[in-house]
Amino acid sequence: MIKDVPKYCNLFLLMSLFFLCSPTVEAKRPEYHLALKKHLFYPAQIIIPANKKVKLVILNYDNSVEEFDSFDLNREKVIFPKQKSIIFIGPLPVGEYHFFGEYHPNSARGKVIVVEINNTQAVSHDALSSKQGGLDVN
Amino acid sequence: MKALMLFKQFCWLMLASLSLLLSYTSTVYADGVVVDKVYHPYVLPNEREVEWRLLSHKESENNNLAQRFAYGQSLTDTIMLELYLVGERDINDDFSLSSYELEARWMLTEQGEYWADWGLLFEIEKVQRQKNWEVTSGVLVEKEFGRASLTFNAFIIYEWGKTIVSEFETEFRLQYRYRYLEQLQPAIELYSGQNYLGIGPAFMGIQRFDGQKQLKWDVGFITGLDRRSKGHVLRVAIEYEF
Repeated sequence: MIKDVPKYCNLFLLMSLFFLCSPTVEAKRPEYHLALKKHLFYPAQIIIPANKKVKLVILNYDNSVEEFDSFDLNREKVIFPKQKSIIFIGPLPVGEYHFFGEYHPNSARGKVIVVEINNTQAVSHDALSSKQGGLDVN
Repeated sequence: MKALMLFKQFCWLMLASLSLLLSYTSTVYADGVVVDKVYHPYVLPNEREVEWRLLSHKESENNNLAQRFAYGQSLTDTIMLELYLVGERDINDDFSLSSYELEARWMLTEQGEYWADWGLLFEIEKVQRQKNWEVTSGVLVEKEFGRASLTFNAFIIYEWGKTIVSEFETEFRLQYRYRYLEQLQPAIELYSGQNYLGIGPAFMGIQRFDGQKQLKWDVGFITGLDRRSKGHVLRVAIEYEF
């Protein structure tokens, strides 16, 4: 004999629905590009604004697979040869966050530098872009 | 900003705790051990793993012992399949294969893309001798707060067979983990379901080797919070990914 689904299951399902709907669709996320060539990350350091979620697009030009790994950023992502991968990072407090390629940890290394951007100052993404290159804002 | 983050963290904990409490106060009766592993909603492509889990439940002088051996492999970028062989020690102190199960984890959202990360879990288990079956489906949610992560698992289980009453059950698991060091990440875990409510500390870590090879370890000591949930459960898991 199958018992009825307990009442609190409904509450759980409602709660799940609430959480599923709750992710705020962040329309315009700053997008940063990284390239992997000959097992090196270009640029090796990226400057991003503090307390803001950003999108990191990594293009692997090599013929071998690589895995982006960072304990500081709490991210692991496989990047297949000649393909791009997307990693969402942040919002992060000011600091330096190291990352590396798991298959070539001695050469494929880099860091994300998180800086405070004061709204009253004329610091724009373009200003950050000139420091590191390859930065787009959607 | 920090206050807002703490407030969000607090709200999340409250909601998850409410679910755990609701599950605990239900009228569904127990047939199994609730304490196991808190699942994270992530899958990596090309991932293969072997896993060993031990569960020791001590209520009085004797303890119930269960061990699981598993092989898992990711089928796609977002789906991982794992096969378990479960062995248990019976009342005669004989250890033998008691059940086997097939488990699929499905990563629904990209890590960090939304407010929280989402995944699903499906599992089918057959108890060897009694010819009992159990089907589980669950939601896996993880929310990151700086160096801390809050993971919430909610399962709906349907079981049937020759020696058990066919019924639905629910289980909830909650883990608050602090990423202190790669090799040492302390956590607090809370388990609820089947008239059980337990809480305790856990420690986990990762040791990396070449390429995708890494060893993950995970130890927890869960204590029942009242006489219905009496005793302690020691859980250990070692996972080798390659």
